[in-house]
Amino acid sequence: MKKVSNRVKSSLSGLLVPFISIVLTLIVASIIVLLLGKNPIEVFLGFLRGSGMALKPRYGGGQGMLTDFFSYLSILTPMIFASLGVMLGMRAGLFNIGVAGQMLLPGFLASVIVGYSDLPSYLAWPLIIIIGLVVGGALGALIGFFKHRFNIHEVVTSIMLNYIISYITGFFINTYFADTVTRNSRPVKEASRLLIAGQTGGGIRFDFPVGLIVALIAVFLMRFLLERMTVGFRINAVGLNKYCARYAGINVGGNVVLAMAMSGTLAGLAGVTYYLGFANNMVPKVLVSLGYDSIAVAVLGNVAPVGCLFASILVTIFQKGSIYMSSNVGVPQDIASVITGILLMFSASGQYIEETLQRLGRASRSKRGSKTDPDQAKA
Amino acid sequence: MAEPIVELRNITKRFPGIVANDNVTLDIKKGEIFALLGENGAGKSTLMSILFGMYEPDEGQIFVRGKEVHLTSSKDAAALNIGMVHQHFKLVSNYTITENIVLGDEPLKRFGPFSWVDLKGASEKIRALSLEYGLEVNPNDKIQDLQVSTQQRVEILKMLYRDAEILIFDEPTSVLTPQEIEYLLDIMEELRRGGKTIILITHKLEEIKRVADRCGILLRGKLVGIYDVATTTTQRMANLMVGKEVDFSVDKPDHEFGEVVLDVSNVTVYNDLKVKVVDDVSLEVRKGEILAIAGVSGNGQVDIADAIAGLQNISEGSITLNGEEISNLSIKERIAKGISYIPEDRQKEGLVMDLNLRDNLAIKTFDREPFSKKGVLQPNAFEDQAVDLIDRYDIRSGQGSQTITRSMSGGNQQKAIIAREVELDSDLLIFVQPTRGLDVGAIANIHQQILDQRALGKAILLVSLELDEVMALADTISVVFRGQILKTDDARNLSKEEVGQYMMGVTK
Amino acid sequence: MNIDKIMTDGLAFALPLFIMAIGGIYSERSGVTMLSIEGFQGFGAFVGAITVVILRTAMGASPDWLIYIATLAAVLGGMLLALLNALMVIKLKSKMTIAGVVINILAVALTSFLSSVITGAVTGQATTKIQLSVAPRYTIPGLSKIPVIGGLFQNIYPFAFIIIVVAALAWYVLYKTRYGLRLRAGGDNPHSLDAAGVDVNKLRFSAVVLAGGFAGLGGMAFTYTVANFSPASYVGYGYLSIAALIFGNWNISTTFWTSMFFGFSRSFSDQLVNELGLSSNYSDLFSVMPYVLTLIVLIFFSKHNRPPRALGEHFDKGKR
Repeated sequence: MKKVSNRVKSSLSGLLVPFISIVLTLIVASIIVLLLGKNPIEVFLGFLRGSGMALKPRYGGGQGMLTDFFSYLSILTPMIFASLGVMLGMRAGLFNIGVAGQMLLPGFLASVIVGYSDLPSYLAWPLIIIIGLVVGGALGALIGFFKHRFNIHEVVTSIMLNYIISYITGFFINTYFADTVTRNSRPVKEASRLLIAGQTGGGIRFDFPVGLIVALIAVFLMRFLLERMTVGFRINAVGLNKYCARYAGINVGGNVVLAMAMSGTLAGLAGVTYYLGFANNMVPKVLVSLGYDSIAVAVLGNVAPVGCLFASILVTIFQKGSIYMSSNVGVPQDIASVITGILLMFSASGQYIEETLQRLGRASRSKRGSKTDPDQAKA
Repeated sequence: MAEPIVELRNITKRFPGIVANDNVTLDIKKGEIFALLGENGAGKSTLMSILFGMYEPDEGQIFVRGKEVHLTSSKDAAALNIGMVHQHFKLVSNYTITENIVLGDEPLKRFGPFSWVDLKGASEKIRALSLEYGLEVNPNDKIQDLQVSTQQRVEILKMLYRDAEILIFDEPTSVLTPQEIEYLLDIMEELRRGGKTIILITHKLEEIKRVADRCGILLRGKLVGIYDVATTTTQRMANLMVGKEVDFSVDKPDHEFGEVVLDVSNVTVYNDLKVKVVDDVSLEVRKGEILAIAGVSGNGQVDIADAIAGLQNISEGSITLNGEEISNLSIKERIAKGISYIPEDRQKEGLVMDLNLRDNLAIKTFDREPFSKKGVLQPNAFEDQAVDLIDRYDIRSGQGSQTITRSMSGGNQQKAIIAREVELDSDLLIFVQPTRGLDVGAIANIHQQILDQRALGKAILLVSLELDEVMALADTISVVFRGQILKTDDARNLSKEEVGQYMMGVTK
Repeated sequence: MNIDKIMTDGLAFALPLFIMAIGGIYSERSGVTMLSIEGFQGFGAFVGAITVVILRTAMGASPDWLIYIATLAAVLGGMLLALLNALMVIKLKSKMTIAGVVINILAVALTSFLSSVITGAVTGQATTKIQLSVAPRYTIPGLSKIPVIGGLFQNIYPFAFIIIVVAALAWYVLYKTRYGLRLRAGGDNPHSLDAAGVDVNKLRFSAVVLAGGFAGLGGMAFTYTVANFSPASYVGYGYLSIAALIFGNWNISTTFWTSMFFGFSRSFSDQLVNELGLSSNYSDLFSVMPYVLTLIVLIFFSKHNRPPRALGEHFDKGKR
């Protein structure tokens, strides 16, 4: 009985902290909007409308809420992958700040190898996914290897690789694959886009993102892996205390490389679903901000797979809805990033929020003392 | 003796869940050595931390030199000429002795708008101080190059540099050899002659007998009483300290040892910094034998244990277990071959503090059947084992198998580790400082566990800094000094003093 | 090959990098992991640039001394963002690495958001790209004629002088003064400071804020070398400065040389593209050089690295 109630309590507090972060973020965002002389309700409604979660006043021919919603889902897909990648790294005590680069290189290679070919979808899709898995995984493994073998912090390696990848792909795009008008890379062929295009529902056209199914599978796979598998047990142990893990016979270096490789794999999937699912081209030398926002999402999601899913759903609303909101309400589009930043700031302070809650809880409860260790109190 | 220099009146300090100090009233006279005696967790350190300004009491008053004071930081205490040598030294490892001593109270030189720390002048002052009290140090040495006993001298000099009149020593002898302890106690007497007041926190009765004038005894946060050391026997003090009659002796029947389980020969180990920490060490442990490695902290004893367990690589020599060479095996393989290891630092190495008890009990076996099948964990097997071990080893925890180990007491954390390691049913058990920081009850329990394993015919390697523990448990004693084994002999042939001599590197 | 140009450009790049790295050293030697130099640099430069826009519009003129006002504003701007970082890390106990990323994300978001809001309000034309005047440059007579290294003394930005003076002061403060002695102890054993009655958290707070100031100065210097500011100015120099300080073993004098190494390897590769007559696309390929070099260098040197022992640990009085 006692056990159950404790579990319920801990999962409740697990939800409470992100919830408080979200509420605080909305309050701060509202204040900013009010300072600009706009109506916060309008702004938030604008985000929802842009994401296909609320009706817009008018739609173009053949378009509707469903169109926007599926378009939202196609950007949600890479966000789920990316945040899972960050999450998995964090579980092993690694900070994968290079998701953006680990997205770009697989996206670039998949575009160049498959995207510009004439392969039919049933060949192109699996090939693209494989490129995402392999290239992303290899980059992650490289970062893990540098940490393990040379003692170079993963943050440093990731960032250096980000710049190297962005310059080199930038060079190739500019030199060989640039569209003469936009100066971006040429769009990939329709057949290799990870979308089932031109579906209709109630006379409204929408494109179904194929990657979303893979992403949802990944969420539950990660959950199973981390909670029920020996691999996950090792990763958790390494992340929580690498000294004890080593002492207990776990190969810490190997698991660092493995976790980073898996993190990179997920980032690679984020890359191909972004560049061949959502966008269909690449801007030379630009790393997508989604790669960094996914860090916020993973933290907000309590560094847990299902948490990442829900946090992705939320944060993507701001990202996706910002264009519509901006053109209709007149608040600069960049407020979406500001909101994400503030959200990240509050969720990064989760420990403080939790401690404050506990303090308040203790104060309200009587001093019916729980058992604490005298040794610790002594310190 | 003179009037009280410090008076504590009705001091109460609560931490979540416990009362560390419960209505404690005592006075300390100028120029005396006042000992504060009590078990781990009795509240000695908390009380002195209050006097040193690191905690504020919930209730009660403090008077220093007759005036009531409110101490909110160690700075306030320093202003009242109160100094403290903490159990864990507070030294900056990459700074020189001088830099460490002046830190927080730096003498400045000025030129126009510029000012800088006058390290040269400070060095001179420190040299003079060290000569005055017989605390030999070279002010320009870096802390990281110094021995523990020298580091302690630096801490003492730090107080003297700040003109401290009231000196608090928190368990100062726990890291020293008998000879170093003698030296330290001499210094304390020297300081008393110089008019200083000394408060000595300890649980070692001989030291109190040797230097202290009066002794206050704390038991579970309450003051039992203040006693005149000269007229109170150590047995009486011991009884008052634990609140009941205690028996220090252990029951260790003589028996024949079996064949050799662990054979370490000519092993040399270099640490990460390429420093030779184990130098040509050889030792043998047989079935049913407790071999204790005695030595001052930092002389390579932990490195020997780590090398056997596979946590450190050896550069020369061989290690065999039951006749089989293991020095090239991984940690995991060595565990499987039959090595259990109770590590020195239970919180850093022994446990994953943020995992629950259940997972910690299975942390070495989770990838074997029945705990996992084909890579999938079996929670029921984890739970069954946890319930069983909690019961058999009397591990107390708030929420049973689900308790996060961080919230458990040190004694129960150690019980959990011992339960896990003993259950591996290994031929060799390595215990490194198994009773560090535990109270008398827990220590007795762990000593009994070790003797039970001996009776079962296990080979036991015990590394301990507590000479009393070594003398009580060991069948064979090896003394380590600067990475070398200076002496190995039957425990019955060695006296405590002799072992202490070898620990200092003195060979006859 | 144009040695003078390599020298001049190398120095113009290395000095701002160096002063930013000094900011990182201050923060990390005090015990606070610093990943947000990039954010401080960009946000500082933004505040500097926007100050120019506001003053320019108000005065209807653009005098030369605006550059110094801009620099001062950039330093304050960097410190402002650093204040937020310090608050997160010290008061709210965020993980230091994550707080760093938060600050960088916020910096990019705030600069694009605020620059369109403020330029819209001030000039009536919302833009995220702020055009600045070209900074004056100086050549030291005599010294500039020395063969090979003469380029170091040609076409120097006024920032070079400011940075050299500030860096010298920073060195003096860190290694000679009371504050510096305490700061460096904070990254090794903060408990020693606490026992000595020094407020560790206050000290670390000040170190992080100073880091923001140094980074703001570096950011403004970089911005004036291209004479405009936009959110695209976040190009990783902040991270590069962190690589420089790691390579420099958290030591100001060693970091000076590693910064120079980065600066000259960059100007050298730029000149190489020029010299080989390659198209400008190729300069992207050569831009990779500092980053690749960083990785290679770290492969060989990170083993010998001794980061501050207490780096990244929150200071909590209760814990030992």
